[in-house]
Parts: sequence; C-alpha cells; structure tokens
Amino acid sequence: MNAIHPTVQVRQLSKNYGSVQALKNVDLSIAAGEYFVLLGPSGGGKTTLLRTIGGFHKPSSGQVWLNGQEVSHLPPDKRPTAMVFQAYALFPHMSVLGNVGYGLSLAKLPKAEVRDKSIAMLEMVGLKGYEDRRPHELSGGQQQRVQLARALVLDRNILLLDEPLAALDAQLRKDMCLELKHLQEKVGITFIHVTHNQEEAMTVADRIALIANGELVEQGAARDIYRTPERRFTASFVGENNLLSGTVASVEGDTVTVQVCGQPLSVDRRDLPVSTGATVALSIRSELVEMVPEDGSASSADGLSLAGTYTESVYLGLTLSHRVALSDGTQIVSRVVGESDAPPPVAGSAARVRWKPGALRLHIN
Amino acid sequence: MTAPTDNGLDGLPPVEPYRPTLRERMSGWAFWVPIVFMVLFFALPMALTVVFSVFERTMFWMEPGFTLAAYENFFFSARLENFLSSMGYSLISVVVSFCLGFPIAVFVRKSVPQAAQHRVVLLFILPFMVSEIIRIFALRPVLQRNGLVNETLINLGLIDEPVTALIYTHTGVVIGEVLSFMPFIVFAGFLAMEAVPKFIFEVCDDLGAGPVRRFTDVILPLAAPGIFAGAVFIFVNGIGVALIPNILGGPGAVNGGLIATQAITALDFPLAMAVSAIMMATLMGLLYIGHRLFDLTKILAPMN
Repeated sequence: MNAIHPTVQVRQLSKNYGSVQALKNVDLSIAAGEYFVLLGPSGGGKTTLLRTIGGFHKPSSGQVWLNGQEVSHLPPDKRPTAMVFQAYALFPHMSVLGNVGYGLSLAKLPKAEVRDKSIAMLEMVGLKGYEDRRPHELSGGQQQRVQLARALVLDRNILLLDEPLAALDAQLRKDMCLELKHLQEKVGITFIHVTHNQEEAMTVADRIALIANGELVEQGAARDIYRTPERRFTASFVGENNLLSGTVASVEGDTVTVQVCGQPLSVDRRDLPVSTGATVALSIRSELVEMVPEDGSASSADGLSLAGTYTESVYLGLTLSHRVALSDGTQIVSRVVGESDAPPPVAGSAARVRWKPGALRLHIN
Repeated sequence: MTAPTDNGLDGLPPVEPYRPTLRERMSGWAFWVPIVFMVLFFALPMALTVVFSVFERTMFWMEPGFTLAAYENFFFSARLENFLSSMGYSLISVVVSFCLGFPIAVFVRKSVPQAAQHRVVLLFILPFMVSEIIRIFALRPVLQRNGLVNETLINLGLIDEPVTALIYTHTGVVIGEVLSFMPFIVFAGFLAMEAVPKFIFEVCDDLGAGPVRRFTDVILPLAAPGIFAGAVFIFVNGIGVALIPNILGGPGAVNGGLIATQAITALDFPLAMAVSAIMMATLMGLLYIGHRLFDLTKILAPMN
C-alpha cells in the first residue's frame, strides 16, 4: 500500500444530471484502513458520491484517486474497489458459493482455489454451512453477508457499502452494524459506508462525512459531529438538537449575546465572524436541556435559560421528552433519561428551560 | 375460569361460527369452468383426431374402421421429407427471431426509462393490428423477382440478375415466419427480463463480467423460462401455420399445417387427421426429450 497517499482522494468532484447538480465540488480524503461513513438525507448526493468512487458513474468534473492513482476513467472492475449493494443484489439462480466465487472464476482462477477462497470468506462472514443454499432461502441479513463475502473475496482494498442495512429490521440492523465494524477491524481494509441512519453511522464509523444537497457539509469523528457540530445543518441532522434563531445583541470578547424571543442568551463565539445585529442560529441538544416550572425565582439574567409555556410530554420508554413553546411558537424539547413518578406540569403553565454554560452552540449561516 | 368484568366486552351477543356466503361457496367451483372447457374443446377433439386418422377414407368424408393407409401415405411420400425440412426451417426461424428479438427485449429493459418501456413494447403490437394474411401477402411485392429488394439491388449495381431464392422457397417462408413471430420473442423476452433484476448489470460491472459472460451466466439462465416459452411458440407455429408457406412457399417449401390443409382440400380427411396427430406426437416427443435433457420444471422455475 502506498504510504504517501491516502487510500481515497476525491478532488473537486461534481456530477450533473441535466440541470440538477447531484454533487458540487466535493473534496474528500480517506486514510487506509479507515471506516468512513457518508451520512445524509435521501437525495443528498451521498450514494452518487459512493458510486462515482466505485466507477458506476462518470464524474462531470473533478477526479477520483484511489491508492495514489487517478482512476476517473476506469470501469468498476478495474478499480481497487468492491461494492456491497442495497439488499437483494445476489444472483438468484446461483448458490451461495456460486455467488461468492463468481468474481474469482471470472478472473480465471483455478476452480479449487475459487472454492477454497469462497468457503474461507463465507466462514469469515459467519455463513459456514450455507454454501449450497439459494439466495431466496436466506434471510435479509444472511443475503447481505453473502454480498459482503462476494465483495471481500475479490481482495480489493476498498469496500463500498451502499445502504447495506436499509432493508433489514431495526434489531437486525443494530447487530449487523457491530458485525460490520468488527469485520472491518479484522480485514483491515478501507470501508466506505453510505447511510441515512445516524445511529448506524455512529456505531460503525471512525469518521463521518455529512453530505446534503450535493455538498460535503462537515466531516469528523462521530463524537465530534454529535457533540460539537460546526454547521447548523449538522446540528439539525445529527442527534436531537433544538434550533433557535436570534439576533446578535452584543459581542464581548469570546462571548456573544443573542436575543431570542426577546430574551438574552449568551453563547461562546468560537472565533466565528459575527457582528452586532446579524441573524444567527443557535443549537442545543435536547438531553442538555432541563425544564423547570416557572416559579419566579429564576431569571434570564445569566443568559442560560428561556421562559416559555409547557405544552406536553412524550414518553418514549428510555427517555421522556418535555416540550416547551416559546412566545414565537418555537418548540424546545428537553429530554430526560429515567423514570419519574412526578406528575407532569399542567399544559399551558409557565415553564423555563435552562442549561449549563457551554451547552449552547452558535452557528452562522 | 372467572369471567373478567372490566374488559368492556360484557353484554355482547355470543360469537357465532363463521358461515361462508353463497358467493364464497360458489367461488371454488369457478376454477372448474376452464377445465371443463379445455376437456370439451381441446382434449376431446385431439383424441378424436387420432381416432379419425385410422378411419377409412370415403369419397367426401370417412367411415369408421381401422386402417393405417393415411400414415402409410404420409411416411412413404415426399410429405415426410417436407415435414422434416419444415421442422429444420422452423428451428432456423426460432434462432433468427431470437437473435433479432431478444436483444431488443434486453435493450428495452436495460436502457429505456421505466415509464417509457411499455410504450416501446406497444410498438411491437402495432403490426398485429393488420391481418396476418395481408402482412404476409405484402411481402410478395417486396421479395419477388421484380420486387423491391431485387430492383433496389439491381439499381445499386450490386447484382445483375434478380435473386429468385427470396420467395417461393424455404428462405421466403423463414422471412415470413420471422416477420410474424419475432414480436413474440420480444414480448416473451421482455417479460422474461423481469426476472433479471436491473442491479445485476451493476454487480456484473463490479465483478468484471463482460457482455458474453453476462449473457451466458446471468441473463440466459434467468430469462430461460420466457425464452423457452417464446421459442416453443415460434417452433409450433412454424410447423403448424399453413398461411405462410401457402403465400411465400413453393414446391417443397411447405410445413405440417400446409400438408394437412392440402389433404383437406383433396377431401382426404384421414390423412389430414394423421398429419395433425403426427405433429402433436412430434411436439410431445420433443418436449419430453427437452425435459429429460434440461428438466423443464427447473427452467420454468429458476428461482427454486
């Protein structure tokens, strides 16, 4: 492997379908052996990016470099990539072993070698003993394992996974996520995984790139993306963030005071270029918000709370979400873990949401 | 068991066993209607064909009896030779229709946008809006000695003498059969390609299966039931439809259907019945051999 170059480099990549821009000047670099996730809403361009890396789409402009080589003109089978498609992408008329070995037999490997390698790979994905089954005899999860084996057996050093778990039910998806992660650690090659499910992304990823509207919005470690989103869009897509908009009232050193519904909130400037009078966005994760009944003792003076009207509580088992409406109608959600037998406040009563210093984040548009 | 009193179901009338309605009870019998129809109008007449074929020939009809004269008449004359060659040429029609029609089906499935696919296939129905006899007859001015093809080739200076092999020969019959039956391969292929998921082409791209391997390893096995159905249809019609060799054929260029028709014209009904029986037996024999060789049930259910 080339130590100088990252395994995957995407440079100024654009893809147009007629007048629709599916990808806009995307730059991306993925290191060898990394588990990289492209996360984003449907139609955001993440699958287009993956398929362009895999060679299924030709870029309109820009380049794809794999293992230090420019591959934009190469077909999928000439690239060091192998693809795991969305569900049901097995050859229905071939046995499991036939599916896994087909790529190798196309490469004209001796039959015995094809067989040995395929069986070894099936064992790796936990399907030992399923060699002679047909795809329709397998569950959705097993079919995706066969696809994994079929791709991994090709011995290419980048595995592309296009929503590999989208068709599985929730519990199975969770189990498969962990298995994928462990499999990647075992084989040690680069995985690039496309999903719209943030829990899936956070389970498997070393790093996550958020893709929306054809742009790479933000990238970073799962923990950073979740805890310290840079962009407003990231905050809206990852985790359960409350989003507020307000006007900058004053900037003093590192502290910005933002006026939201007529109440001052103080927030860290994070070196962002803000000026008084500008409209900005604020985000705060719902689990960092605490709701207390308004009893007149608290005030907005410290800039760490907002007064509003309690509307309802939603019980979700693990968590309980309280909703508080601000005077302009914005709903603030406060998520609490743990059972409480205390009766909820009366709907329509005055309430206050508050948080610790540093919980609120500033975003400029 | 103590009856719960707080489930809100008390005071309702007891649950009656379910009684199917008259319509539900009758619906089971509906499936027998097509069977009765097929027995009455297909199985019975076919059996009678065999019975009539051994009847004695009379001047205008036939009378009960047992004679193999009709079969002797068939097997010890040019009819057998003509029949066998018509089978050969039907096979050629099947192959030509397949080579021309199946790529169209693959192309429509693969490259035409989903919404437009059925409209494109509809184009292949259009020729059927014109009566077959007219379609076939319209080939005469195209293929004959001073027809469109020959005139064009002579005017272009490509040939000096008109090609006479295009019509009133087996070639003419094959051209007519391909014209008539190719759309069926397009239909059958189009439906068969439904069994070939679109993603498979991408999987093939990824694994590096070229066009030939893709066709032999993936498309052909998956589309086999449709291809087989289309091929049998063309072969049977190639042997049986008298119309095409009647208009485009000539001496020796006949088929089973035309031999039977000619026998009817000659008021030799036992011979016509014998030819029908032989055609039927031949097809059943071929199907049996095909089944022994390829296991047709497997071809018809490739997913299992």
